Amino acid sequence: MHKYSFFVYSNFDKVAPNIICLLSGCSKMYQYDEIDQQIVEERVNQFRDQTQRFLNNELAEAEFLPLRLQNGLYVQRHAPMLRIAIPYGMLSSKQIRKLADISRRYDRGYGHFSTRQNLQLNWPTLESVPDILAELAEVQMHAVQTSGNCIRNTTTDQYAGVIDDEIVDPRPYCEMIRQWSTFHPEFAFLPRKFKIAVNATESADRAATQVHDIGLHIKKNDAGEIGFKVIVGGGLGRTPMIGTTICEFMPRKDILSYLEAILRVYNQQGNRLNKYKARIKILTKALGIDEIRARVEAEWEYLKGRENTVPEVEFERLQSFFTEPAYKTLDNNPSELTEKLSQSPGFARWYERNTFSHKKDGYRIVTLTLKKTGIAPGDATSEQMDLAADFADKYSFGELRVSHEQNLVLADVEQGQLIELWEAAKEAGFATPTLGLLTDMICCPGGDFCALANAKSIPIAQQIQERFADLDYLYDIGDLDLNISGCMNACGHHHVGNLGILGVDKKGEEFYQVSIGGASGHDASIGKIIGPSFSEEEVGGIIEKIVSVYIDNRTEEERFIDTYRRIGIAPYKEAAYAKNN
Amino acid sequence: MQKIIKDGAIIDCDLNWIQDQEQAIEALAGDQKAKAIIPLTLWLDDAHDTSGVAGIWIDSTENTEPLVGKDLSELAVIGLHFLAFADGRSFSYARLLRERLNYQGEIRALGNFIPDQLGYLLRVGFNGFQFNESVNIEKALLLHKPFSVAYQGDVADPRPVFARR
Repeated sequence: MHKYSFFVYSNFDKVAPNIICLLSGCSKMYQYDEIDQQIVEERVNQFRDQTQRFLNNELAEAEFLPLRLQNGLYVQRHAPMLRIAIPYGMLSSKQIRKLADISRRYDRGYGHFSTRQNLQLNWPTLESVPDILAELAEVQMHAVQTSGNCIRNTTTDQYAGVIDDEIVDPRPYCEMIRQWSTFHPEFAFLPRKFKIAVNATESADRAATQVHDIGLHIKKNDAGEIGFKVIVGGGLGRTPMIGTTICEFMPRKDILSYLEAILRVYNQQGNRLNKYKARIKILTKALGIDEIRARVEAEWEYLKGRENTVPEVEFERLQSFFTEPAYKTLDNNPSELTEKLSQSPGFARWYERNTFSHKKDGYRIVTLTLKKTGIAPGDATSEQMDLAADFADKYSFGELRVSHEQNLVLADVEQGQLIELWEAAKEAGFATPTLGLLTDMICCPGGDFCALANAKSIPIAQQIQERFADLDYLYDIGDLDLNISGCMNACGHHHVGNLGILGVDKKGEEFYQVSIGGASGHDASIGKIIGPSFSEEEVGGIIEKIVSVYIDNRTEEERFIDTYRRIGIAPYKEAAYAKNN
Repeated sequence: MQKIIKDGAIIDCDLNWIQDQEQAIEALAGDQKAKAIIPLTLWLDDAHDTSGVAGIWIDSTENTEPLVGKDLSELAVIGLHFLAFADGRSFSYARLLRERLNYQGEIRALGNFIPDQLGYLLRVGFNGFQFNESVNIEKALLLHKPFSVAYQGDVADPRPVFARR
């Protein structure tokens, strides 16, 4: 201990690993111990005090602003918006019931699941936020660092732990990063926000890691050791960029010290004069990847092998929370399933689109879509949240996930129960069988709610959903990501949609710019703008014209993105701007 | 006399933080030299005899790089100036001073930092706080320890939580 350390964290030196098991489905998620619980409770007290001082005019607006932002609290068009953290998208049924209850009592009976796997409440009062946080702390939840210029909620694959071709389960590593980044004393006032995503499969990148400030790909080296490929400088916003590899393989024990080195370089050298040039992607581009790698490695020289080196026993501890639930021994494709698939086209469609193969025979991953026409994408009512909790308890070991495409996932459903679940999900508006199709859009709250937006995004989503209501046509079009953002902050990830729509302001009127060719997976790319923007009424028709170009030009095996990559932008442009004759 | 917080107590500030280069040069020749906290650039400038000053201060736009290899033991204070409280560069500078350059003297926060940052500032190695005059320093001191536990190691206890669990 140093002599100047007059505030020492010593009272927890000898805490036994005493797990407080508050949640159902204990074996499958991280469970807080006394330390975790104390931190969220002390955060509630801190924020209650800050809010009270603000309301008493003892804390200036400008000073309260970053403090409330670090707690996910924005002041929005109509009311404050509170963004609740859902670490790497994992929820227990008890937690989602609490979210339903909070939305009902403190908001207007619904919430909005975001692309960072979080939940946003649009109508809480400022005065009630400390109470909401206190209730969240009761179920091991919080709103820490869901906004502000700090390290945000780490995200990952919504199918983590239940798919076949995963190298290892990424969630213990996400939890490790969550703890390292939560209230990190050095990195609470970065030049800009900082987002980390983790992927652990070769076949897909469902966490869009290449458009994050840091993307981590879990790897095994030739010796069988687990580590990370580290990608830096990806991002969306007004200067979209695909990340670049800064390190091919960093052993897992060293990853925290390496992340610390990156953040320390960024904290000191990132642009602080212009917030539009402040993300690490701009620093990476300005210096070049070789120079930023050299600077990070120079910093890491001092940090590696020291306190942040993670011991094996900690990996074992973290992994112990994410063990397999009590799976039954079952066969794939039970007869009741295959019969129903052949008899019911509606069920077959849902099965094909909204369920995914599971690593265990006899199980299936089910996505409950939040994309019903007429409802803002990602919105769920309190009743739907309660129902989702019931489904989780009945069909999926009491656990639920949020996907970055703004849907909910039941990860462990017995194939024999799919028919029953489908019936129930249909009734609840959870079974729009369009996962991955054009109408399964990512969409930000837009100008209806958000003070930053240039234009509304939800009515555009509805217009498109209505135009493409014919399921047969939608299925014929096949896989197509359509993403909508109401402004260039790009919360709706429009740059990486196969089709992207961006709301822009044109002399006080809302217009929409269309881009084509973006992708967010392992083959990530940034879409190209096809030309001048369109009025609100034109958007649906333009999307239809663009899709027709694909239909007319595709080969049998080609997805929308493949055809675009083969034939280029010109035919789409031509169709979009052709004069009607 | 202005008050500061140092090592958890409110005390009189008997040192003179000199922001202006010319005034600092004058102070080097005067009888208050031993109380002067002078700009980093001046201290680095061999044209001036800076021996015996109380300390130096570093702006957010500068960094700790020029101090590598220098004898810092004669400096009672190194001040880190916050241009704006949201400019977090000095959090890294303090940590580098403590952990890399092994600086044992006072690290003093200067300028536009705010009381709600005290917890973080202490953890990265600050132990002196010269607030802007508008700040109520008694109330500020109440905010020094928002958390009794932390996930990360810090200058007080370098062990991360996994070494304490």
